[in-house]
Amino acid sequence: MSTTSHFTRRGFLLGATALGTGGLLTACIGSGGGSDDETGGSGDDGSSGAGAAVTLQSSLSDPAPKAALEQVVAAYDGDVTLNTVAIEQFRAQLSTYLTSNNPPDVLTWYAGSVARDYAAEGLLLDVSDLWTGDGACAGFSEALKSLSTAEDGTQIFVPTNYYWWSIFYKKSAFEQWGVSVPETWDDFLALCETLKGQGVSPLANGIGSTPWMASGWFDYLNLRINGATYHRELLAGEHAFTDPEVEAVLTEYAKLIPYFDPNMASYSHQEAVTPMIQNSSAMYLIGAFVTQFFPEDQQDDIDFFSVPPINEDVPSAEEAPTDGYFASANTANLEGTKALLSYLASAEAQQQFISESASSNLPTSPDVDSSGFTPLVQKGIELLENTEEITQFFNRDSSDALQSTADDALTRFLADPSDIPGILAGWQAAAEQVWNQ
Amino acid sequence: MLRRVPWVVWLFLLIPLAAEVFWVFWPALNSFSLSLTRWNGIGAAEPVGLGNYVDLWNDPIFRTALRNNVIWVVGFGGLSVLGGLTLAVLLNRPGRGIGIYRSAIYLPMVFSLAVTGLFWRVMYQPAGLVNTALGAVGLGSWERQWLADPDVALYAVLIAAVWRQVGYIMVLYLAGLKGVDPALEEAAAMDGANRRQRFFSIVMPQLRGVNAVVFAVTVIDSLRTFDIVWAMTRGGPYNSTQLLSTYMFEQGFTLVNLGYGSAIAVVIFALAIVFIITYLVRSIRQED
Repeated sequence: MSTTSHFTRRGFLLGATALGTGGLLTACIGSGGGSDDETGGSGDDGSSGAGAAVTLQSSLSDPAPKAALEQVVAAYDGDVTLNTVAIEQFRAQLSTYLTSNNPPDVLTWYAGSVARDYAAEGLLLDVSDLWTGDGACAGFSEALKSLSTAEDGTQIFVPTNYYWWSIFYKKSAFEQWGVSVPETWDDFLALCETLKGQGVSPLANGIGSTPWMASGWFDYLNLRINGATYHRELLAGEHAFTDPEVEAVLTEYAKLIPYFDPNMASYSHQEAVTPMIQNSSAMYLIGAFVTQFFPEDQQDDIDFFSVPPINEDVPSAEEAPTDGYFASANTANLEGTKALLSYLASAEAQQQFISESASSNLPTSPDVDSSGFTPLVQKGIELLENTEEITQFFNRDSSDALQSTADDALTRFLADPSDIPGILAGWQAAAEQVWNQ
Repeated sequence: MLRRVPWVVWLFLLIPLAAEVFWVFWPALNSFSLSLTRWNGIGAAEPVGLGNYVDLWNDPIFRTALRNNVIWVVGFGGLSVLGGLTLAVLLNRPGRGIGIYRSAIYLPMVFSLAVTGLFWRVMYQPAGLVNTALGAVGLGSWERQWLADPDVALYAVLIAAVWRQVGYIMVLYLAGLKGVDPALEEAAAMDGANRRQRFFSIVMPQLRGVNAVVFAVTVIDSLRTFDIVWAMTRGGPYNSTQLLSTYMFEQGFTLVNLGYGSAIAVVIFALAIVFIITYLVRSIRQED
């Protein structure tokens, strides 16, 4: 063969290129801008066949919650296929799951604007009947109901647990340092100063690989200075980040910067707990999930207090992100899906999930017997019952895209707070890109 | 001339070509058409013409990513080639335990980039090995939060990537050095050439083939770098270590701006193709 073929490599490449280009051109004509076709098909990994088993797609990939959900599902007498997907991948593929031809029936996710956005696209199952009569969610609070309601007034979400944000601290450490829980904002700043004088980092935080943690203080300061209504409107794009109100928030935030753990930019939210365990940092504004990062023998030592009021004229508010389930509008097994949702919302399933997962999450069902919960969780329930306004968290009240603009602006601000107007102008420009998308 | 090629050969060529067109060119083309739209994965894509590219040009993060990519290609390419070549020359001699040195230096290449990233993240911790070592040798003033300081974070990641790549480049050069004719070097030594002259005038020209391979490998590796940055900084602090690839991933898959993400992918593709075509043209010329 080598004697007959005299073609060179260049010739071959040219030929191949010509062929390739030909193929490309045909492909180009064939495509006709039909990118809609791609929505289907690719998401049917782990979907059920018609009718039989109900598929539950879960993003609870941390060991304890994952095991807890497995237990809860095992106790269900229907046929359920549980798929657990790592949360990053789940987030990225959620729209693919929901738009696929054979979608998972029930999915874990967040209440609030994310669920509403999918509902507006017509992708979520209307579960209003669960919220009326003797439905599984009928006894849930009004606040939860409005949180689970889409723009068209139907309910599209089944909340099953939520948790609260507060400033967590260790009772034994406070005793050792001879300090007590502050009542007012000035007390709080004075406490930070006292602790710093004792060589302790007053405020723990981890904004390294988890830059969204920088939004915790932003949310709370905005809630305390401008109130929940303004906060929600700001996140919805009805105000600008360049407003004097937001500037006031960052000015207050800047006062806290000297009190943060100097290593916070290197830590993740989880790593920032280690100095607290070792009593080298004192207080941590974070969600109740933080308790799982403390060792067993310090669990009873953990306590919390709410961020003290700053502006007395605004109503009290707390952040309480709500987790739960929604179902795909295109489910092939409507009855099985609603039965599973009702089961997951039931008091027994909620109670089992919370105790198995060793978290400090709160049940949404008023029928759950809370007497067996730890004093910390009871205090958390009381905190949320007595607050006037409940918000979720920055990303849940807006979108993941707006969260990434906050991450950039706030971590930049924490590294160098000298140019607040400049940072806010950059933030507003990035946020406008998101709102105009 | 082409007519003399048996038809069976064409058949065998067509099968992989068809697979390539369907699995590589077709999705790539879809990515092009997607880059002219705004699409969040739900419903129909909204055509926006070249809007995404205009936005890219005005996007400060994209410009940072582009600048970082240039730093990356130069730094990653320069350091790993320099290190790899030096090590290859030093270790290209028989001796006791030389094999152990070679394998030890090649070893990091065995780990995935994600593992390398996690490993270095631990080293760069505020109280980690790097800072402890600096403090121990009296360079305490050099200690910093390596991955949290925007002035040094990109270079800290770069060092980790070079640490892994050096062994690979070393092996390529070691293979090349085996093909160098020792007689030529001896003759030059006889003629009074010093070590430096012998290396640059006798050895290097004979490594031309290897150099071309190393160049291509390095450029392609540095343009597609993603995992190590993602594992170590995720593009932070405040987007200062963002590369084109990580920014594309964030836009496309974390924020599900598929159109905008595709536009970044097209830019990466355009940059890569420029280098690859230059390389192909050069190597074909040399062969003819």
